[in-house]
Amino acid sequence: MEVMYLLVPLSVLAVLAILCVFAWAVGAGQFDDLEGEGLRIFDATDAALDADQADADVRIEKSLNDVAARVPAEIQEKGRFE
Amino acid sequence: MKLEAAHDGPVVYDDTAVRGFALATVLWGVVGMAVGVFIAAQLAWPELGTGIPWLSYGRLRPLHTNAVIFAFGGCALFATSLHVVQRTCQVPLFAPLLARFVFWGWQAVIVAAAITLPLGYTRGKEYAELEWPIGLLIAIVWVAYAVVFFGTVGRRRVRHVYVANWFFGAFILAVALLHIVNGAVMPAGWLKSYSVYAGVQDAMVQWWYGHNAVGFFLTAGFLGMMYYYIPKQAGRPVYSYRLSIVHFWALIFTYMWAGPHHLHYTALPDWAQSIGMVFSLILLAPSWGGMINGVMTLSGAWHKLRDDPILKFLIVSLSFYGMSTFEGPMMSIKTVNALSHYTDWTIGHVHSGALGWVGLISMGSMYYLIPRMFGRTSMYSVRAIDLHFWIATVGIVLYIASMWIAGVMQGLMWRAVNPDGTLVYSFVEGVKATYPFYIVRFIGGLLYLGGMLVMAWNTVMTVSRGRVTQAPVPALAVQQQGA
Amino acid sequence: MNSSASIPLSPVAAHSCAAAAEDVQAFDLPQRVARYTRFEHDAAGRRIGVSSLRLSGITCAACAMPIELALRGVDGVREASVNAAASRALVRWDAQRTRPSELVRAVRDAGYDAAPDTAIAAREMRRTESRQSLWRFFVAAFCAMQVMMFSTPAYVAGPAGIEPDLKRLLDWGSFVLALPVMLFSAGPFFSGAWRALRSRRIGMDVPVALGIAVSFLASTAAALDPGGPLGSEVYFDSLTMFVAFLLGARALEMRVRHRAAQMLETAMGALPESALRLREDGRAELVDRTQLRPGDRVRVPLGQGFAADGRLIEGETAADESLLTGESAPVSKGHGDEVVAGSVNLLAPVVMRVERTGEDTRHEAIVALMREAQSQRGAASRAAERWAGPFLWAVLALALGAALAWQWVDSQRAAWVAVSVLVVTCPCALSLAAPSALLAAADALARRGVLMRRLESLEPMARITHLFVDKTGTLTAGRSRLVQVQRVSAASGPGDEELLDRAAALAAWSQHPLSKALCEARPWAVAGASHWRSVRERAGEGLEGLDEFGAAWRLGCAAWLARPAGEGEDESACAWFGPAGNAQLRLQFEEALRPDAVSTLDALRREGVRVTLLSGDAPHRVDALAAACAIEAHGGASPAEKLQAVRSAQALGATVAMLGDGINDAAVLAQADVALAMGSGAMLARSQADAVLMGDRLAGVLELRRTARRCMRITRQNLVWAAAYNAVCVPLALAGALPPWAAGAGMAASSLLVMLNALRVRA
Repeated sequence: MEVMYLLVPLSVLAVLAILCVFAWAVGAGQFDDLEGEGLRIFDATDAALDADQADADVRIEKSLNDVAARVPAEIQEKGRFE
Repeated sequence: MKLEAAHDGPVVYDDTAVRGFALATVLWGVVGMAVGVFIAAQLAWPELGTGIPWLSYGRLRPLHTNAVIFAFGGCALFATSLHVVQRTCQVPLFAPLLARFVFWGWQAVIVAAAITLPLGYTRGKEYAELEWPIGLLIAIVWVAYAVVFFGTVGRRRVRHVYVANWFFGAFILAVALLHIVNGAVMPAGWLKSYSVYAGVQDAMVQWWYGHNAVGFFLTAGFLGMMYYYIPKQAGRPVYSYRLSIVHFWALIFTYMWAGPHHLHYTALPDWAQSIGMVFSLILLAPSWGGMINGVMTLSGAWHKLRDDPILKFLIVSLSFYGMSTFEGPMMSIKTVNALSHYTDWTIGHVHSGALGWVGLISMGSMYYLIPRMFGRTSMYSVRAIDLHFWIATVGIVLYIASMWIAGVMQGLMWRAVNPDGTLVYSFVEGVKATYPFYIVRFIGGLLYLGGMLVMAWNTVMTVSRGRVTQAPVPALAVQQQGA
Repeated sequence: MNSSASIPLSPVAAHSCAAAAEDVQAFDLPQRVARYTRFEHDAAGRRIGVSSLRLSGITCAACAMPIELALRGVDGVREASVNAAASRALVRWDAQRTRPSELVRAVRDAGYDAAPDTAIAAREMRRTESRQSLWRFFVAAFCAMQVMMFSTPAYVAGPAGIEPDLKRLLDWGSFVLALPVMLFSAGPFFSGAWRALRSRRIGMDVPVALGIAVSFLASTAAALDPGGPLGSEVYFDSLTMFVAFLLGARALEMRVRHRAAQMLETAMGALPESALRLREDGRAELVDRTQLRPGDRVRVPLGQGFAADGRLIEGETAADESLLTGESAPVSKGHGDEVVAGSVNLLAPVVMRVERTGEDTRHEAIVALMREAQSQRGAASRAAERWAGPFLWAVLALALGAALAWQWVDSQRAAWVAVSVLVVTCPCALSLAAPSALLAAADALARRGVLMRRLESLEPMARITHLFVDKTGTLTAGRSRLVQVQRVSAASGPGDEELLDRAAALAAWSQHPLSKALCEARPWAVAGASHWRSVRERAGEGLEGLDEFGAAWRLGCAAWLARPAGEGEDESACAWFGPAGNAQLRLQFEEALRPDAVSTLDALRREGVRVTLLSGDAPHRVDALAAACAIEAHGGASPAEKLQAVRSAQALGATVAMLGDGINDAAVLAQADVALAMGSGAMLARSQADAVLMGDRLAGVLELRRTARRCMRITRQNLVWAAAYNAVCVPLALAGALPPWAAGAGMAASSLLVMLNALRVRA
């Protein structure tokens, strides 16, 4: 099964490469605010948008969140109990 | 990196390649499925195409697989990845000219395949049949694609890299690695080459490639599609974004070693077959995690499924994904595999994944994307989308049901032995018994093709009534207004 | 759109160990010191600083000791207490002999790091710590997965086996992938073990580090030379999986710690650093929070926290007071309503008038309490550490003994048996779980409005058999009710009802609690307040007003109406009304019970707790109230008698909890096994209670008891499990029946199980 001499070192290199990518991701803060990022694709930041940015009909469920949704981002970032 | 606005106008997304690929998806979908229907017919009525070499089954089958996987699926991936990366990074494409090269280069690959395969030029390796010059072209186009994609990610305006882009990125890098390793050949003529690996070694590499091609091309890539278009179409964020990240890394962990399950009971060493089995089973967990995440995105809004056929495509595709990723590990268990290997059950499994998961998610995504590429928010006829959905679903069900029955039947017939050790059935008896199922499968495929033709019609009507518009990049527009 | 914008860091990023001298000096700046240090005077009149420091580098309870020793070694430090679970240190230091920078230096010399306990630096430290931990865990888990793939062929290969050269290839692949795990992920174990050995102690990390190191070295040797003395078995897979699991358990524990710390930060974070003070001309100026004075008018924008206690004078809104009451539902605030520092303005911009600032605010009191609570080490963790040392020595001895013994029996396995013994033992179960359970309990309770000041009081709380309750302000809500009206003069002139209404109309002019109670009883009469003219109020006596005929009427205490004081009557609950000198109505008031009093005490009784109302108030009133709640009464008790009551109960073997207002009964509270106080105002800071019930909810006692019992139950479960596990697995390991991979998996799984069990306290 000599081809293992190719595939095994290749896997090892792949693993090391993946570790480097993960290191970059953690260091670049990719995993810091996971739930917020899921909502980002619905951001409608400007009036002049292309059609697929403006069609969001996102409902934020809980009643307190309705109120909290009006709270500026800096406050939200400080976090609540949940 | 400062982005200068061209021509004093707002900075706009670069959707030329996206548009081209989207339309190409529909075109190659029709072509690839038509070839598929034809070869399905040939299995039921072998006289079809007799005497014409370039219509022979052996040459058309790889044309079908390449056309649906790389032409239809590939163009869908190109279109959606280039669309999603721009929208989620809030920047236009990096190196837009290179993006155009990627489009035309890929079309050249497809046309070259469409010419060489029926003419009989093949390497004989499944999903890697194209001879070395085309392989080289694929590699060049792929490198250009990687440059465009990662370049765009590199100059993003949004710090976080949306999960879909992780899936796309992994797909691009993995396919590059697989293609190069499995494509290593010694040329012996313009359209002839020999693999650098031999015998069972070659088989191992081939199925290391083959299964990872399924895993990264047909799964990771389309999961990227799923994680963007389902939330957008449903208007709700991914059920658990955290889970989607975990899903991604879990999938990456486990995929590399599932390949040997294609080689059970062959000359491959026993232990290699066993680890293939073990890791295929482990793969079940991350796959289902992703499926649940996608389906539950609709949690609390199931009523939308009633009225929105695009959502039907997207969500139902996930159920087929779940089904296939359950069926696959089951089939990789050696005892099960002893029954299913070489039978039509394998074909059934492939097509439940291909028609059910890959096909439906691509169609749903294209139905979302195409109108927006032409200045509209929806296709010309939403009822036609609904019609397409139902026709396609019926077609899929007919296809896979017939192949399951055929496959199990074949397996049982082949292994039936008399008390004295002789086989009960001759091979041709098995073939005869399979015949009706081939006809049902043909009908199923025909329906699926029919649905695709409805889509093609809808696309033409949409494009002719739309116009190409420029979409400004929101974040940069804000910047410019303030400047 | 950039919601991930980071808050600007304070100038000193304290987590770099290579901090220059200036960094440390910055800790001494007065403005900074004030933010994390309270000053008081000791008996000799010397100025003592009480500082709260945030620590990093802590991986388990055993880390507390070296830090405490280091801090105590600083000249001028009176007391240092470290809670490893909360990564917090509370230090009392003589302001004349040392400075905060010395404290931080000492911690750094011990190999850890410290920062003042202020919001931003701590949050950065937490973020870095959590990222590091995620990173280490991922590397370990990912590599473990791949190594597992490489080792599976050897396991699944049948009798035919694998070709030797292929096995060597796979072993080498495993070796390469185990390197990142050893060099990086397992770093905390090695550095922890080194630290412990340097202070000549045994820490939890020592057996773990030894086990990992021996496994790795032996596996490497086996990979290099399969025919050698260590055999050809490699255990890179067990080793990496073990490290991954253990890191996973620690990551979980860290999350509990971080959440507890985050609650504190949230409390502090909601208090804005600056406020918009309105000047006379109506313009707003931005001032630091500390510059506000009572009487200032402050504009509070939407989404901002209130910087001080006060009242709304303009606008209406709703406020999030979850820190104070445990209730996250917004509370509407109208004109004249009280607002509390640290709550958040949710609906509309408003203007408030400042009434209390700085240390006098409820917020500061709560924060101080929380800080102190987090610095106390639970009794359970102290107990855990006491026997951890000897236990670990025993483990090392056993491992060595096993290695020697097995040299005789089968030398190839000697190293592996020793490794198994080292790795399978799990004292981590206790040092991880007990403090985590306590913290999780405190966390859960805080969410329900019960603030633990001393975590170790959870243990006696679970055992209480007697509850003594104070009356005024505890069982009763501090409000009165009109219960009886008596005509005491001849029945002529206006009828009783009309007299009562007139009395209510007069009472409407006053803010006295009894007047308010009277108005509540006759709300329709309040409109007639304008019929009274020339109304004046004499504090402590009553009201006087002229009716439409110009006659003077009075409402107030007996003396005010020139009546002799009644015998045996409680004057404070009784008012008289009538023309001056001629009382006509006698009004009897009673304090209203808290709404949840009856149900709470009922539930406590049903759970087997004897409840007694212990009060200095008149016995008949105490009896009446106790009867209403179906509990025992002991009225008319002087402080000495109260103390005696508690002592007698304790002499009979009871565990006693006392619930009072925390001020007047210091001696009794100190005597009780658990001292509880109802939270209200600035009294919190001076309260000596073990736990404070916020939000005026008596039901907090019930929740406290239930949570305490759950916490103790879970800790007991963990103890039992740890004992059983060790009792079974150590002999198995000694007998060579436990291969290293099983030992590693067992240890890691046991740690994980115990951690998860501890988290159940929150349910």
